[in-house]
Amino acid sequence: MISDPLTVITIVPLAVSLALLILPKISGSAEGLARASRAISMGVSLAMLAITTMIFFGEIGNVDWTDYNSGYSLTNDAFSLIPSIGVQWKVGADALSFPMIWLTTLLIPISMLVEWDAKKGHLFHPLILMMEGALIGVFVSLDMFVFYAFWELTLVPMFFLIMVWGGEDRKYASMKFFIYTFTASVIMLVGILVMYFYTPDVASSGTITGHTFDMSVMIASSDYIPSEGLRHLVWLLLLIGFATKMPSVPVHTWLPDAHVQAPTAGSMLLAGVMLKMGAYGFLRIAVSAFPESTVAFIPLLIFLGMASLVYGAWVCMGQTNLKRMVAYSSVSHMGLIFLGIATMQPLGIAGALFMMFAHGIISPLLFAVAGAFKHHYHTLEIGSMRGIAHHSPWLAAHMMLGWMASLGLPLLAGFVAEVTILIAFWMSFGWLVLLPTLTLIITAVYYLTSMQKTIFESNDPHHGILPDTLHGEDPRDISWHENSGMIILGALTILFGILPFIFWDMMSEWSSGFLIDTLVEAMQSEGVKP
Amino acid sequence: MMPELIMLLGLIAIVVVPNLGDAKFRLPLTSVRVPVLLGGSRFDLTNDPRMPNRISNLTFSLALLSSLLLISESPSEVGGILVVDSFSRLFSTMFLAALLLVSIATTHRLPAKTNAHIPKESDSENVFDRKISILIDNRRQVDFYILLIMVGLGMTMMTMATNLFMLIVCIELASLSTYVLVAFHKEDGTGGEAGAKYFIVGSVASAIGIYGMSLLYLWSGSLDLEILRQSWLSMEGIDPFAAFGIGMMLVAFGFKVSAAPFHLAAPDAYSGAASQVSGLLATASKAMGFLALFRVLVMITVPDGSEAIWMIALGIFAIVTMTWGNLAALTSENPKRMLAYSSVAHAGYMLAAIAVVGSGISSVDQNAIILTAVSFHLFVLVLFKLGAFLVLALLETEGKGHEIEHLYGLGRRDPLIAGSMFLFVLSLAGVPPLSGFLSKLLMINGIVSTSASTGSSSSVDIVSWAESVDPLFWLAAAIVLNSALSLFYYLRIGLVMFFEEPSTEKSLKAAPSLRMAIFACALLTVLCGIGPVSEWLLDTVSSAIDSLMYE
Repeated sequence: MISDPLTVITIVPLAVSLALLILPKISGSAEGLARASRAISMGVSLAMLAITTMIFFGEIGNVDWTDYNSGYSLTNDAFSLIPSIGVQWKVGADALSFPMIWLTTLLIPISMLVEWDAKKGHLFHPLILMMEGALIGVFVSLDMFVFYAFWELTLVPMFFLIMVWGGEDRKYASMKFFIYTFTASVIMLVGILVMYFYTPDVASSGTITGHTFDMSVMIASSDYIPSEGLRHLVWLLLLIGFATKMPSVPVHTWLPDAHVQAPTAGSMLLAGVMLKMGAYGFLRIAVSAFPESTVAFIPLLIFLGMASLVYGAWVCMGQTNLKRMVAYSSVSHMGLIFLGIATMQPLGIAGALFMMFAHGIISPLLFAVAGAFKHHYHTLEIGSMRGIAHHSPWLAAHMMLGWMASLGLPLLAGFVAEVTILIAFWMSFGWLVLLPTLTLIITAVYYLTSMQKTIFESNDPHHGILPDTLHGEDPRDISWHENSGMIILGALTILFGILPFIFWDMMSEWSSGFLIDTLVEAMQSEGVKP
Repeated sequence: MMPELIMLLGLIAIVVVPNLGDAKFRLPLTSVRVPVLLGGSRFDLTNDPRMPNRISNLTFSLALLSSLLLISESPSEVGGILVVDSFSRLFSTMFLAALLLVSIATTHRLPAKTNAHIPKESDSENVFDRKISILIDNRRQVDFYILLIMVGLGMTMMTMATNLFMLIVCIELASLSTYVLVAFHKEDGTGGEAGAKYFIVGSVASAIGIYGMSLLYLWSGSLDLEILRQSWLSMEGIDPFAAFGIGMMLVAFGFKVSAAPFHLAAPDAYSGAASQVSGLLATASKAMGFLALFRVLVMITVPDGSEAIWMIALGIFAIVTMTWGNLAALTSENPKRMLAYSSVAHAGYMLAAIAVVGSGISSVDQNAIILTAVSFHLFVLVLFKLGAFLVLALLETEGKGHEIEHLYGLGRRDPLIAGSMFLFVLSLAGVPPLSGFLSKLLMINGIVSTSASTGSSSSVDIVSWAESVDPLFWLAAAIVLNSALSLFYYLRIGLVMFFEEPSTEKSLKAAPSLRMAIFACALLTVLCGIGPVSEWLLDTVSSAIDSLMYE
């Protein structure tokens, strides 16, 4: 039906958003314009969701995602953007990237919906649309240069979202966000360039430099990098870039600030998709290109993952700010992804992939809830208010569902990911599994105490305690658009908890295929039992 | 020679046209009055103070156009000391493009007062003084553009010179004009000081260079580049005359490209001059120095791919230059000085690439690629370095631009201009996919592809690999580290533009032609980084370098 759907879902949102951002300068009244531009943005993002959903059901492209050996699907005829240095427009998707692409197209309309009545709507919704194009670009591009360009481009709309629509400390937060992630990606760029300079001349013709940015060539030619030490160094450079984005302890400190200050939609996309870019890039580039280094650095991965997991959860217990708590719980869950990869088991890697996806549904729900709480109660303090189940039953229900999913209640999406990672971890490292398992108890502790403090406990059975910030007014329940967005996310959380195989099959096929293809040989040479 | 002729005509037109008037010459003993047109009371059209600017714009556009059309013309020689080939044509095109941008951008710079505002006799007492000052202001227009066209003539001629003497003369023609242009900004005391400093240091550097040239003459008996090259080839060992001659010419050209430690006058000159002129110095004037380096260093002294005597020196200069430039830029509070130091740093990057040409371990093809990269970098520098200076020029129309505070909140006052400025600094920093990244990548690639293969591939740990690799590799590492360092001050400009409170909410002056120049620069900064335009430009540069290398 559409010959090149991946290019379409990347370029169309970008083009439309640029048009919507520039046109208002030329004509139109602000009010009508805001309405028109958010309607157009929503329409475009829904169309993109329709396309990716049709891809999933095989209506477009007829792809069998569970077939690892077929490589990238939906590829286009690569054409040169900068022939002289070997940059191409080349897209494709596989079971690693497709769930992320679908997740992106899903979260964009939902985050627009949740902030349907945002201020300066003629800029807000187009920026989110721009975010969509940039994020999809990261996941689909098979050219390292284009990948990096999109990687940087995601910073722009997110930066403005925090800067313009953020909370009181938005300036500090957006600066910190920008400096951390930009510095990290420049470090990553150095690694990419080293890889670039070692691509063989034969691989590309017609370039002045004799090298190519083609991702598969770059990954395949990583063996040409002389000396194991240099390969390790490049791997570490890439890791710094990806780990900062994930984020992992000790480079996670930008995340809580950015989340607390970001508008709801910004937080949802940040937690839902942007953090996954780190894990995606790590698997796609660092692990694929340098399997030996990955295997050699398994202890480092375990340390980083464990530190993020334990530290994130531990800090959560001390948080009184709702968004900050959810942000640290993201750090904690991202730690599980490193642990899953470090197991070097198909089950563990598939669990990590599913964690990326599940967390991509649950954390937006959590942030939507936190945003709505802020919106209607004008505070984010846990404990400044008790018994919201009485005042805002819908909000309380969503909050409860999100928190339960996040702490890993069975039959919800998060459980599948956590339990598979832990099983794989046990298979690889034995009793070391006790530490992450005990951390899950900490997670339960902080969620359950917060739940008790905010949703239920009430000194007065009729009213509960209202925060000072309401100035004595009665809080309202969440509005229709917030509610509908949360209902969709909540329903998906339950759906993927009960029927995880919708995406699980392709993920586990990809993981075992990937493991056999790239990692087994490295593990044997490093003496790690497969 | 078409562009040069056009510029000559333009020069004459600028001198003549404002003097056209209704003067008549009465034939003796008759009452017949023959109009001679020169003198008398001027026509309204010719007396328009904006006239010189228009003539200069027209001249440069025509010259640029003809230069572009002639870019693939077959080589021809003029008088034995000039050669017109695609290499010289290409660089002429670049110089003319820079000058055209400067010329367009200066429309609003000098106070051009139209005649309509000349007060009537009855208006006030000091009518006469005001009339004089208006007249002087308007005369200055003519002076400014005459100098600009002189710069153009000197620069385009120097691209063709195959004789060292001609080369120096043309460089001096351009340089002397730029000294005056720097000092031209008389409303401000710093202009004169900057011009004087620049002139003194510049003439000392030129004197040293000319002395070096005379030593070369003493040594070979000719100043023709081809003969010098032959003598260098047939030289046994190193003749001290030749070595000192080359070394001294390095000083002169080092000043032109503002390489450390000869760069000390540059920041003063850049910050004292009008921003358009600073932009010209940082781009076209620097390119002129590099062109001279190509001619003298690469063409005379690297004929057969053996290690050149200046290689080590140039490598060390390059690292010192880029590090010094970046460190100084980090601490600058004046955006013009910051851009000046960043221009010093960029000179360092390019010198590093040229040092590799002299290493002797690179093949001729690799040399061609490196020179292509450097030339391409010089080309795109015109877009984003000049563009950044033009943004400061727009701020100067309201008397600002000398302190970082003046950039505060520019994003709120004028988002498009601030966005362009951000684009320029990102390109200066070398962020993909802008043209600054492409050119820097090509330069680094040139260095790495020459040197990295020398590292032993059998060594396992990184230390022994690092010991085995050719020291040239560290030039590439230095460029990368310096680029990372430079990000801090480039991003700072972006940050203050978007996140500091502006001192005033007033929007900037309209200045349509200046804005047009800025937007043209911004658009081309993107287009030259990605897509067909960049490809065309790179191909053209590459074939021009081939014509230089393999003639």
